[in-house]
Amino acid sequence: MSKLNATDVQGFVLRGYNMPHARFCFLHFQNAAAGRHLVAQLLGSITTGQLWDNGKPQSTLNIAFTFKGLTALELPLATLISFPDEFQQGMKDRASILGDIGKNSPEHWDALWRGADIHAWVAIHALTPETLEAQFAQLNAIISATGNIHLLGSQDAAALVIDGKLSTKEHFGYTDGFGNPDYLGVCRNTQPGQGKLLPDGTWAPLATGELLLGYADEAGELPVAPVPHILAANGTFMVYRKLHENVGTFRAFLDEWGARYGAGDAAAKEKLASKFIGRWQDGTPIELSPDAPDPSIVADPNRNTDFKFGNDLSGSRCPVGAHVRRVHPRDAFGFNGKLVDRRRITRRGMPYGPQVDPTTPQDPATLDSTDRGVVFMALNASLSRQFEFVQQQWISYGNDAHLGNEKDLLLGTHLPGEKFSIQGDTNPANPPLFCANLPNFVELRGGDYFFLPSITALAMIAMELVDPR
Amino acid sequence: MSNINGKLYAMNAITPMKPWKTWILRVIFFLLWHIKSKQQDLINLSFIQFARWVIIPRNRFPSLSSGQKQETLTYDYLLFFSNFNGTWNQYIDAFSAVLSTGLNLIWRWSEKFPGSVPVTGFKEYIARIQFDTDYYYTAYPEATANDTKAAHIVQGALTTLATQAAAQTPEQFQAAYLQFLLAVQTHLGDTGDAPAVF
Ligand code: HEM
Repeated sequence: MSKLNATDVQGFVLRGYNMPHARFCFLHFQNAAAGRHLVAQLLGSITTGQLWDNGKPQSTLNIAFTFKGLTALELPLATLISFPDEFQQGMKDRASILGDIGKNSPEHWDALWRGADIHAWVAIHALTPETLEAQFAQLNAIISATGNIHLLGSQDAAALVIDGKLSTKEHFGYTDGFGNPDYLGVCRNTQPGQGKLLPDGTWAPLATGELLLGYADEAGELPVAPVPHILAANGTFMVYRKLHENVGTFRAFLDEWGARYGAGDAAAKEKLASKFIGRWQDGTPIELSPDAPDPSIVADPNRNTDFKFGNDLSGSRCPVGAHVRRVHPRDAFGFNGKLVDRRRITRRGMPYGPQVDPTTPQDPATLDSTDRGVVFMALNASLSRQFEFVQQQWISYGNDAHLGNEKDLLLGTHLPGEKFSIQGDTNPANPPLFCANLPNFVELRGGDYFFLPSITALAMIAMELVDPR
Repeated sequence: MSNINGKLYAMNAITPMKPWKTWILRVIFFLLWHIKSKQQDLINLSFIQFARWVIIPRNRFPSLSSGQKQETLTYDYLLFFSNFNGTWNQYIDAFSAVLSTGLNLIWRWSEKFPGSVPVTGFKEYIARIQFDTDYYYTAYPEATANDTKAAHIVQGALTTLATQAAAQTPEQFQAAYLQFLLAVQTHLGDTGDAPAVF
């Protein structure tokens, strides 16, 4: 593989920044000239994939466009129509494919996502609230100076603080941020469990083209991409979904079914919670340690993502329908994971909204109605082959896992009559359990598909140099 | 008038072969048929209900009536017929990812076959040689092959449990019921609507 030119790729693509504060700003261009001017003004400040060997910067800046945004920027028609269909349609029009129905359907989304067209996503990540505000003030100054750019709204996100320390937890209480694929040329070190499985049972990085346009993918060809090549290369597609979490519903459900599981005590409840996701709340994979959390595994990058499901086809350690097993089945479908390698996504999500205060008890309704959840952002070379496939076939459906129409417990949009199966064994502490009357734990409040161009492509857009030939 | 009926997709594909190559394919089919292990990958793709290749020699095309004139054909034909669960793309992606050697062995004798890897050229080929389904009957449009197999397992286990139950004490029944649950716990998926096609 040719060496990756990291300085041409936006930094957000190549690594999780691991910064505790973020603001995602959504812009509308009144006209193409204004949009191009803005891109030109921001170009020098966009964070690239260059390594931070001299320490992290105080804050970062990244930019991405919807199809409507690229249209507003007046890219040539031949270029516009060469983008993949699902990107041209945008996430709203893919609702029936994604299972975004009922409360999750676009007419129920936040006002921001139902109003004027969102053209661009500008992301600020920062080490402190002060540096976030400073970067935001600069952005605002550029927006005002440019003129004819509307800041339609913004979304703040922040790491949750547990016992005074920054964490990677989300509001239900699970620790996130372990599983993400490694790609050839992108990571300095690879971690077992993060790439693709080889026939000998070891792990290797995925082909770069599963993440970045312009590089060979796992099928040995270049990903479907817009023309010209130079506009696409080193870019990627991002899905942005604001996923509201009904924390009250989650807790009530866990109380109700925890009381009927195993000994029905606090330990049983904790175990049940781990069965929903496939990790204990501290992050220990239950496939590796089904009886109790094990902090030594969590702390060890050589172990915390290194597991397989092939020896647990009965699901008695990790349920067949547990979240991590659905979205990354590893060897569960046989063929050394070959049916899985082209369905991987890179997650860059963060929690948003006020943290639940553990000291003051709150009623479930208030816990549910508070605006909090996960800003789910995922990157992939093909939205339809990767994200949409995972969302439809593995989260909202179960045939590949031999689960019929059963959905992911926490993410599925459940209809009356659905159930969630937790496989068990003869150990009384690990019985089979079938949960019924499933509520909706997570609700979609907005989002869209974005194209995250390379630095070169941004310059071409700014200078009106996109030539489809 | 659709290749899709609920959770099922029917694919018919017909490709021409130069007659001398047909003999090679016959030998390959003979070997594949007798070496069962070679069929295992195809069988392990659980979303395939049925897949079959048939050679139609150029002088063996059916004659529908005595008045139909015999045609003189230059090529023999290979008919591929398959019923599977899931989308066209998912099916061909999987074929290309895990069965490429076997597929190439069978299809390379057909004219203009590009190979099953990379997948884009393979998909273009399939799209060109595919004939759409005129009429598609399926008994259980809301069930996949996995669902049907699972239903048989559950039915069998339930019948056994019910037969034994009559003579069991409550304690024995409790133990038998747990064994029943463990036997069926990975076979309880619900049938229902197919996901939207994309
Ligand atoms: C509110 C929504 C969600 C919550 C609370 C959630 C929670 C989690 C947790 C706790 C983990 C385990 C930690 C880890 O492996 O990093 C995880 C992993 C993962 N999730 Fe989610 N998730 C959500 C939405 C989604 C969605 C919408 C998708 C995909 C469409 C997704 C895909 C993944 C993937 C690919 C992994 C990594 C699995 C692995 O590599 O083992 N998640 N999620």
